[in-house]
Amino acid sequence: MNWQLLPQFAITGLLNGGPIALIALGIVLIFKSSEIFNFAHGQMLLIGAMTTWWFSADEGLGLPLWTAVLLALAVSILLGLLIERLTLRPMTGQPLLSIILMTLALGQFLQGLTILTFGTTQRNFPVIFSITDPYRITLPFTYNDNPIIVILKQNLVWSFVVAMVCVIVLALFFQYTRTGLSMRATAEDHETAQSVGIRINRVFGISWAIAGIIAAIGGVLIATASGLDLSLSIVVLAAFPAVLLGGLESIPGAVLGGLIIGLAQGLVGLPNNNFFMGPEVAQAIRNSTEIVPYVILLIVLVIRPDGLFGQKRIERI
Amino acid sequence: MKKWTTLTLFILLGVLLLAACGSPAEAPANTTTNQPAAEEPAEEPMAEPTEEPMAEPTEEPMEEPAAEEPTEEPMAEPTEEPMEEPAAEMRTDNLEGETITFYHFGDLSGPYAAITGPLVFGMEDAVAAINENGGIRGATIEVQFADTGGSVDEAVAAYDRFTGADDNAMIMITYGSGEVEALASRFAEDKIVNLSAGLSAVGFYGPDSGYTFGLGPIYPDQFGYFLDYVTANWDTIKPATAGDEVKLAYLSWPGAFGQGALTDETRAYAESLGVEIVAEETYDLSPTADTTTAILNAQAAGANVIWTNSLAFGPAALMNGLGALGLQQDFILGGCNWAMDLATYAFVSDPALAAGLISPFPYLWWNDADHPGIQYAQSLFTANERTAGAQNVGYLLLVAGVDLAVKAIEQAIDTVGFDNLTGEAIYDALTTMGPVEPLDGVVRMDYSDGVRAPRFSQLRQIQGGPDAFNVLQDWTEMPDLRPVFDN
Amino acid sequence: MAVLRPAGDFDTSYEQDMSVIRKRWQWVALLLFLAALFALPAYAPEPAVSLVNRIGIAIIAVQGLNILTGYTGQISLGQAAFMTVGAYISALLVGQAGWSFFLALPVAGLGAGLVGLLFGLPSLRVKGFYLVMATLSAQFIIPWLTRNTFPNLLNGAQGMNVPVPVIKLPVIANTCFLGTTFDPETAVCLYRFATPNEFIYITLVVLIISTVVALNISRSRLGRAFISVRDNDLAAELLGVNLFAYKLRAFFIAAVYAGVAGAMLAHNLRHVNSQTVGLIDSILFMGMLVVGGLGSNLGPIFGATLVTLLEELATVLTPILITLMPDIAGGATAALRPLIFGLALMLFLIFEPRGLAYRWTLIKAAWRLRPYAR
Repeated sequence: MNWQLLPQFAITGLLNGGPIALIALGIVLIFKSSEIFNFAHGQMLLIGAMTTWWFSADEGLGLPLWTAVLLALAVSILLGLLIERLTLRPMTGQPLLSIILMTLALGQFLQGLTILTFGTTQRNFPVIFSITDPYRITLPFTYNDNPIIVILKQNLVWSFVVAMVCVIVLALFFQYTRTGLSMRATAEDHETAQSVGIRINRVFGISWAIAGIIAAIGGVLIATASGLDLSLSIVVLAAFPAVLLGGLESIPGAVLGGLIIGLAQGLVGLPNNNFFMGPEVAQAIRNSTEIVPYVILLIVLVIRPDGLFGQKRIERI
Repeated sequence: MKKWTTLTLFILLGVLLLAACGSPAEAPANTTTNQPAAEEPAEEPMAEPTEEPMAEPTEEPMEEPAAEEPTEEPMAEPTEEPMEEPAAEMRTDNLEGETITFYHFGDLSGPYAAITGPLVFGMEDAVAAINENGGIRGATIEVQFADTGGSVDEAVAAYDRFTGADDNAMIMITYGSGEVEALASRFAEDKIVNLSAGLSAVGFYGPDSGYTFGLGPIYPDQFGYFLDYVTANWDTIKPATAGDEVKLAYLSWPGAFGQGALTDETRAYAESLGVEIVAEETYDLSPTADTTTAILNAQAAGANVIWTNSLAFGPAALMNGLGALGLQQDFILGGCNWAMDLATYAFVSDPALAAGLISPFPYLWWNDADHPGIQYAQSLFTANERTAGAQNVGYLLLVAGVDLAVKAIEQAIDTVGFDNLTGEAIYDALTTMGPVEPLDGVVRMDYSDGVRAPRFSQLRQIQGGPDAFNVLQDWTEMPDLRPVFDN
Repeated sequence: MAVLRPAGDFDTSYEQDMSVIRKRWQWVALLLFLAALFALPAYAPEPAVSLVNRIGIAIIAVQGLNILTGYTGQISLGQAAFMTVGAYISALLVGQAGWSFFLALPVAGLGAGLVGLLFGLPSLRVKGFYLVMATLSAQFIIPWLTRNTFPNLLNGAQGMNVPVPVIKLPVIANTCFLGTTFDPETAVCLYRFATPNEFIYITLVVLIISTVVALNISRSRLGRAFISVRDNDLAAELLGVNLFAYKLRAFFIAAVYAGVAGAMLAHNLRHVNSQTVGLIDSILFMGMLVVGGLGSNLGPIFGATLVTLLEELATVLTPILITLMPDIAGGATAALRPLIFGLALMLFLIFEPRGLAYRWTLIKAAWRLRPYAR
């Protein structure tokens, strides 16, 4: 094991977990209010980043970046509302399979739409944080008498900070605002919520709009870190297990799940050629970042099917 | 159980349909030569006359289209006679009204789109220019393209579409290693010459292949060529932090292309040069890939040289990662020929990060502006108003590739006549024409003696700003690291 | 299934009551249809035959999914992963071990089935959405295993070339029968299923077998148990249906179908790697099943045909789109495919969630009841 790299990989992993947590949060939000698992979240992410690019790039409108982000957020809110009204409201009361397939179909449709509008070429996303000038942190301890320096890309750190700020703002929103409270009530029980005067359809609309915002922010964060192209929509595949890991309905669970997934993806880089099971196994483990979330998911499903914080609603069979 | 008997009966019926007719065992035995590709089933199961031309494209010109019965011995001699006899009379410089179709397919919408786009543009512009200047001896070149999205599935579907619609498809141009590897046996079977920018050793030399020719050297040769240079000049080029040993990290994409340079032959060759391969890491085939883990592990393993078999955002991700970690000076970065390309600059966060890359360079470059071949390519590029991003290696290589194809077809027409022009005739032309230098030597190849990819290359290094691809080593023969297959 | 029949049309024997195809003219129609399919290479252009091949392979995969999702109600996004298993098993057995394809095909199915069982295990504890995620994990883990384990055997991410299926027959009375040709090297009669025109016979024969098997599963005790698990698992258990055992059986059967389809695909493409089929294919299969009709034996056939034709439509529309919007050029096909598929699936989900098979029974009923159409 490359023990001297442990702090480096652990911290990078955790920071990478920030955007994953934010994405997971967007999915949990919709599931909480309407029991719909949004497989199209990746495409919403992609559209958020693509519109930001278009508003800010010279080939597009050439606006300043912050205006572009605000406009993209507006587009995403609109998109969220449209999705809810046009595709998911007609599905109310349909079985699970239909709803899952609806969001899968929606994802495909949006993917096609994005290609049709923006093409397949990779885009240079505006650079917000310097890429060549990373933060270097010297840790207060040594390994084999060598100082341990952790090198962190600027965008990695700031993506994490922005993601966590979003999480806190959302938590406060749910705790203290009237709309937030009505959304929590809806999540608890649709009929009870309706009986105390909450308009369920409005709540659904709002949750999709907020999910749109979260998706757009997540898309922009990831695009700043590593450029923008169609593969951005695949990033959510790492967030699906995070959602289940935390429990489908828990906001702190989603955040924790995202961080755990990020951490695990970072730590698999550790085994080196002296790994006790041999270099081939070590190499396979190092290459396993994409499946680590799913391996963890399988373990959690067997040990604790309702996740770390999920409500024990699953019927044991 | 009546239904069971009936069901079995009708399954049997289906099988029997397969067995429409029997054919004499001796007949084909007489004529079949030792060519591995000559084992085409001569008889179609349904014995339909309409299918005959497809089973045996070589004799198509001889077939009467209205033949009622399939000939009992489709593989009989006639294939050879007409090829030689009419040749003398049919040699003509005026083929006006005739067409020759170039088929090509590649990934314009998947992960390799960034590199395939310019390749396709180069191919189409070059063909258009040839048609304007009178075509091949007056015959017009028609072009048919299919987008595969990077999937082998789609490539096979496109191949089936093309060959199904044209019984005498003779030349196809491909751009991806994966596609070439999957289709190589079909090209050989159907005798369709395949000029490929996907430089797969398996595709060119693998069992059952033979009709696939590379427009550039195979990756194992390139890798060996790079190692030669690095070991020979280690004392002068080694990074300040490195010791006397060359320790190599192979950091690349997964997949046929990314892993294409790492073969048993290259491993043995590296060992013979005293190069230790200390790390093999892959990173995602995506512009958003994170390479820092791979780089840090390579560093931890003691590596001081990195080889990457990737292109566009592939080397760029490594350069960005090295830059972000401040390790640019600690490694010598080498890559396959595609890595040293303008496409890479679209993804490098700072052009300075690209400096230092060393690559085999089996063609000239746009900045050799006094070379007539480059001038020709430049004129095409300007005339077609292509965007700056497309002025890369792919465009150049395909202008040269089309020139090669035209040369081969012209020689084939001279030998067998236009009416007998087939993929086989073009194959014969390519393999017998000796050393060729398409576009006056922008590329150099020699497909004699079973060699199916160029063996000569320069070695260049990025020194300074974009496009400063300077020659480290002039045209030299590369080490021969062709894979050996059991078959 | 209450099928409306014209007045005076009664079953007169037990066989007739139990038979799938009741009338002689229906038998004739079916046989004519099959004969037309088998004769395809004689009159259809090769690209069309190639398309039928692809449809056939998709139907087999969707038939398996229909048993798991349509009949048993277990949602799976892992069908393509089990196809990968089948594809690799067959590629290894035929390519490396030198087996005959026709022997390797069922083994590939069984191997995939066993792997399917493994990923069906979570159905012991979870259902619904959680199970979807468990099957989704197969979609990631299995291709990863093919890339990262046994590199000498599986050749990593590059994958491997797969031989053409071959029938070898001995030379009888100096003649090669059954359309084979003499191969001087091995001195036997060969038939190579290389081109779509030849491979189509494999596709059709396997398709007929798989359809008959699926049909009989759905009509037997097994199928009725599956349906009871789907409709009400608690009631089913009370009636003595061992839930876990039947769910696992459904997973097994679905994966066997996937394995067979995967092996056929590999030999049809002559190449397999970890990306030959992927998540997008699993989604496509699910879409085919819903478009065709869940829990109906005609569903997979209708669905796979329609969706594959829609994909083909995207290819046909590409040049038109490029003329309309020259800027998009390269991305045209890439844009149209998901666009058309997504739109079609959404429309079906909203307006015809029971799929084409249901529409078909309505049409048949209307025809039988004419002139008193509903």
